[in-house]
Amino acid sequence: MRSEDLITQLAAGLRPVRRVWHPAKSTAVWLLLAGGVIGAAIAVFGLRHDLAQRLASGFDLPQLIAALATGLLAAFAAFELALPDRDQRWALLPLPAVVAWLATMGWGCLQDLARFGPEGLRLTTSYPCLAFIAGLGVPLTMGMLWLARHAAPLRPTPVAALGGLSAAALASVGLSAIHHLNAAVMVLVWHGLAVLVVTLVATFLGPRVMRAEEAAAPA
Amino acid sequence: MMPIAERDARDLRWSQLMAAAQAGDARAYETLLRDCLPLLRAICRARLRDPSDAEDAAQDALLTIHRVRHTYDPSRPFRPWLAAIAERRAVDRGRRRGRTSLREVDLEAAMDVATPERAADAELDSRRAAVELRRAVEDLPQAQRTALGLTKIEDLSLAEASSRSGMSVGALKVATHRALRSLRRRFGVEE
Repeated sequence: MRSEDLITQLAAGLRPVRRVWHPAKSTAVWLLLAGGVIGAAIAVFGLRHDLAQRLASGFDLPQLIAALATGLLAAFAAFELALPDRDQRWALLPLPAVVAWLATMGWGCLQDLARFGPEGLRLTTSYPCLAFIAGLGVPLTMGMLWLARHAAPLRPTPVAALGGLSAAALASVGLSAIHHLNAAVMVLVWHGLAVLVVTLVATFLGPRVMRAEEAAAPA
Repeated sequence: MMPIAERDARDLRWSQLMAAAQAGDARAYETLLRDCLPLLRAICRARLRDPSDAEDAAQDALLTIHRVRHTYDPSRPFRPWLAAIAERRAVDRGRRRGRTSLREVDLEAAMDVATPERAADAELDSRRAAVELRRAVEDLPQAQRTALGLTKIEDLSLAEASSRSGMSVGALKVATHRALRSLRRRFGVEE
């Protein structure tokens, strides 16, 4: 087929479309959606009894803020990258928050080491952490990718990866409000592992999901 | 290079046409795509050597533009949006071409490569056959060689061959027949 004929065909079947939201609006909608789901999970499992005490003592606050910032910035970067004309360096936006998050957890490990000695770095298994973050993070990622499905024909992989990172980081914040994990090394390993798993699942399965979502709901 | 003012005016026009297209104006959309086609082709040709690949990539870009036309924000320049899509489709087409070329060989290129060898082989075979045939004819008895030469190679009539060689028509017939039978046997051809 000649390109000129293709143009005639495309124009002949033209329908009006609703423009996609600005990335800031998409991020706000996403935070409301994720906040609602994680809030519901907190309501089901209940807040950890010593949450107020721990936040007041300043142990967990920087770590929670860094995780929240990771979720927020990763989402904004994903919605920016979902638009064709945006610079791919938007993908680096959540990097400072991720580094800060890892640093706060690492700092926590050093504090535990100073307070309790090598015993403070003892690692045990905590599958519930993994199950909570992955169990909440993966479905949330699907919701995020639905909001960013217009990226499917252009660069679905980085958008999916950032979507997974955002969902997992927010789920991690939710988990911190519920679950007893006092040792920083446990948080670092189990939250870190869970976030990594969700991000990898999103990276490899996300583009396929986005294509299916985009095909099911054309503009 | 195009003057900046002219490029800006064109970009603004395209941006307005796309805004109208997003609202469902088919005429604006067709005008826009026709205006943009040379730019799409130029971007694809810069990335793809094969003209038909470049044209395919330009059509892929048109289809993608159609699918994601709701992602264009008219408050932003149009050209970067368009160019990003065309670049992406050209890169994809190039990758696909790269993967395909590992399994396939372009027919014309294959002919270019294969023909000289094939022709050389065929010529060599034919020269070998000619040498062998000449040897076989030389090995024939004199009478048979003369009869074969006059009746089959020079293609004379039996009478002419008879007058030229001094052999009788009957003798020519017999000698030619024996010469052919002898050659057939030598080259393994069944009678």
